[in-house]
Amino acid sequence: MRNKKWLGSAVLATAFAVAITGCSGNNSGGGNNAPAPANEGSANAGNQNAAGGEAEKPAPVTFTYFNATANKDIETNKTMIGKKLEEQTGVNFKQEFLVGDLQTKIGTMIASNEYPDVIQPDAGIDKILDAGAFIPLNDLIDKYGPNIKRVYEPYFNLMKADDGNIYFLPFSPLVGEFKPSPTIDQGAFWIQNRVLKEAGYPQVKTLDQFVKLIEDYTVKHASEDLIGMTTLTHDWRFFATTNPPNHLAGYPNDGGVQVDVNTMEAKVYGDNDGTKRWLKTLNDLNAKGLLDKSSFVDNYDQYLAKLTSGKVLGLFDYGWQVQQAFNTVNKAGNDDLMYFPLPIVFDENTKDQYLDPPSFVNNRGIGITVSAKDPERIIQFFDNLLTDENQKLTRWGIQGETYEVDANGRLYRTPEQIEKLKDNDYSREVGISYFAYYWPMYGGGSTFPDGNAVDPGRQPEVAQASFTDAEKERLAKYNAKTYADLFAAPDDRPWYPAWSIALEQDTPAQIFTVKQTDLQKKYFAKIVLAAPDKFESVWNDYVTEYRKTPVDEYEKTMTEEIKKKVAKIQGTN
Amino acid sequence: MRLFMKRLISQRALVFMTVPFLIWLAIFKYLPLWGWTIAFQNYKPAKGFGDQKWVGLKQFRFMFEDDRFLLVLRNTLAMSLINFVLGFVTAIILALLLNELRNAIFKRFVQTISYLPHFISWVVAATIIQTALSADGGIINIILMNLGLINEPILWLGEGKYFWGIMGASEVWKNIGWNTIIYLAAMTTIDPAQYEAAEMDGASRLQRIWHITLPGLRPVIIVLVIMNLGQILETGFEPQYLLGNGLNVDYSENLEIFILKYGMNLGNYSLSVAAGIFKTVISIILLFSANAIAKRFGQDRLF
Repeated sequence: MRNKKWLGSAVLATAFAVAITGCSGNNSGGGNNAPAPANEGSANAGNQNAAGGEAEKPAPVTFTYFNATANKDIETNKTMIGKKLEEQTGVNFKQEFLVGDLQTKIGTMIASNEYPDVIQPDAGIDKILDAGAFIPLNDLIDKYGPNIKRVYEPYFNLMKADDGNIYFLPFSPLVGEFKPSPTIDQGAFWIQNRVLKEAGYPQVKTLDQFVKLIEDYTVKHASEDLIGMTTLTHDWRFFATTNPPNHLAGYPNDGGVQVDVNTMEAKVYGDNDGTKRWLKTLNDLNAKGLLDKSSFVDNYDQYLAKLTSGKVLGLFDYGWQVQQAFNTVNKAGNDDLMYFPLPIVFDENTKDQYLDPPSFVNNRGIGITVSAKDPERIIQFFDNLLTDENQKLTRWGIQGETYEVDANGRLYRTPEQIEKLKDNDYSREVGISYFAYYWPMYGGGSTFPDGNAVDPGRQPEVAQASFTDAEKERLAKYNAKTYADLFAAPDDRPWYPAWSIALEQDTPAQIFTVKQTDLQKKYFAKIVLAAPDKFESVWNDYVTEYRKTPVDEYEKTMTEEIKKKVAKIQGTN
Repeated sequence: MRLFMKRLISQRALVFMTVPFLIWLAIFKYLPLWGWTIAFQNYKPAKGFGDQKWVGLKQFRFMFEDDRFLLVLRNTLAMSLINFVLGFVTAIILALLLNELRNAIFKRFVQTISYLPHFISWVVAATIIQTALSADGGIINIILMNLGLINEPILWLGEGKYFWGIMGASEVWKNIGWNTIIYLAAMTTIDPAQYEAAEMDGASRLQRIWHITLPGLRPVIIVLVIMNLGQILETGFEPQYLLGNGLNVDYSENLEIFILKYGMNLGNYSLSVAAGIFKTVISIILLFSANAIAKRFGQDRLF
């Protein structure tokens, strides 16, 4: 989501030049908004320059924009990207970012009833909406927002408030084909490279194969004091231990339930055979001394320290949760100790679903406030952002400066450009820091019609540029260019993610979520650490307790909510 | 009555001086009691008082009928009593020892060292404790192994039955220095002439401690006991929350954590308030009974 790149500079430059000369020449409207026909890359029928719709050059204007995240305040026309956008539209934004406490800042605005023209309130969005600070955008979009319509229309049902109005534009509408992130920041079974290397890079698909690899390696290197597997259980991060059976059975991270794609029935898996099988595997590992016993008492820091030590051969976790440990390992530079993600499942013929399906976050976004003097110009500016060219400009940056195009029309960045963009000041100067997110935009996994990723972070060419040679070789052994290639593409699951469904307060379904966690925290440790002959009886105790909770109500509620959500998205009610 | 009014007028300067504090008390301590009504509702924030749904004793019933509640109550009381006893005994002993020290520099040194842990936040302290008790390379396990007391590292935090002990020891480590302050202060009020007289009569050091220092501390000790008894259900929240895990949950979960899980985390404020009322009632009962006992034995007391 935080990728910035610059695209099509030459193409754009030409297009802009034409548009601008057209404008200043006082040509009558209509003709000068067509992209320069000579440039294939930019000739998208759906796009038009916002300024182009008007006959004369629009008067320059500066709006204010408060963004409730941290960055340096700026006038957008001081950045390269902002400058180009100003040339197109005459609109400049004075961006103010959050210093101090969000709720206080928002509270002050509400109390004084004076707002900047545009706000991205982040977590304060409910307060802003409650205060009636945003104006409804429906009519404005109808009149001035053909591109907004094109991008957001599939989600209109999800964006509408209870009164039927749209008050803000979220950041995650999917445009074009969905492209998962090429590096694994979501769930995976991770294994140390040295284990794969010693086994000769075998295909590893099932849990049994995974465990066998680890076991073989530990036996061979018995003197090295290795830890076969560890698992994270600390506090709220406990799901790293309860979620694996779900992934192993071929489901994405839907929280506490597995949802049937066809019937949309939600079923808990907390006490099903999959969970039993997973715990039995851990129990076996423990009996053989291959499981880190401290797993169930270590805190998060101790867990990360263990991963960094290089002693742990394998684990399940979510990429974002172990990233800091992996970064440290990578920095140390010992390729053998780095981890390799694998989409492990229970059975050979199960299709893995580790990668997140696209999802639409409808409680974050940018809106125009009641204090804005000229909402039309703002909405036109927003609309103008949502062309393929301008998405390329705001996400990739400027061609030759922050990205390149190869002979096949693929966008990429040179290692030097990637390195340079890591410097925040440079990224601000270009404007990627300011424009790559928190504006009306194509969502994270979107692609352009030519197949390039909108988000440079999702472009395989960019991901690869950051791989070491050893990494590339290893991936090649598995016929993959990026880590995502190892994983199956996500199936369409319109309700995804089920864990974002808010359960009503004080209901049995809500109580269940607490009871389940309590029970699992207590029993998973017992079950895994039990002597193998006691496994069955402790497991049975657990199931008995589990069934005493309001689990049926929970399943029923989840099924209903999922069906409701799907119906809403598909607009059938 | 006339006498009362007369006295009130003659002491008007003092009466006026207390007025601001009475107002403060009313606003911040009595007015909020209105909020207890929440316990009998299905409270939803941002709704007017009239729009709330009244549910009678439902929240209390949920609390008392939950099978974990008794367990949680047991843990709370057990940890409280352990802290209570250990806290008093260790602090008084340390204070007596410090009081007998003649070397001022060493005394200061010991005092400072023993105060310091009090200022460490529990988040940091919990990490120190977890690291010290760790099964891989924790100092406690290393020492015990080298002394030959155990053969293999113990998962200290993984055994529920050790948890209360760990909590007690941690509280002592953290607060012993701090708790001695009040006793050391009380000791300075004891008339030195008593010690001199005792010395003349040939009393040994231990006899002086026993017959002069301890009786001199008695009023302070009794007041502190009464006050602390009132807080017996307040074991604090952080250490149990931070050191608790799945393996010791049956011993570590206390009332506060229960309230956090089922009240605050679920947005069920009514349950939180109900639990708060329960705690307050128990505290008041304990406070009054301790006071009454002290009265019966003819001791100094709180009121």
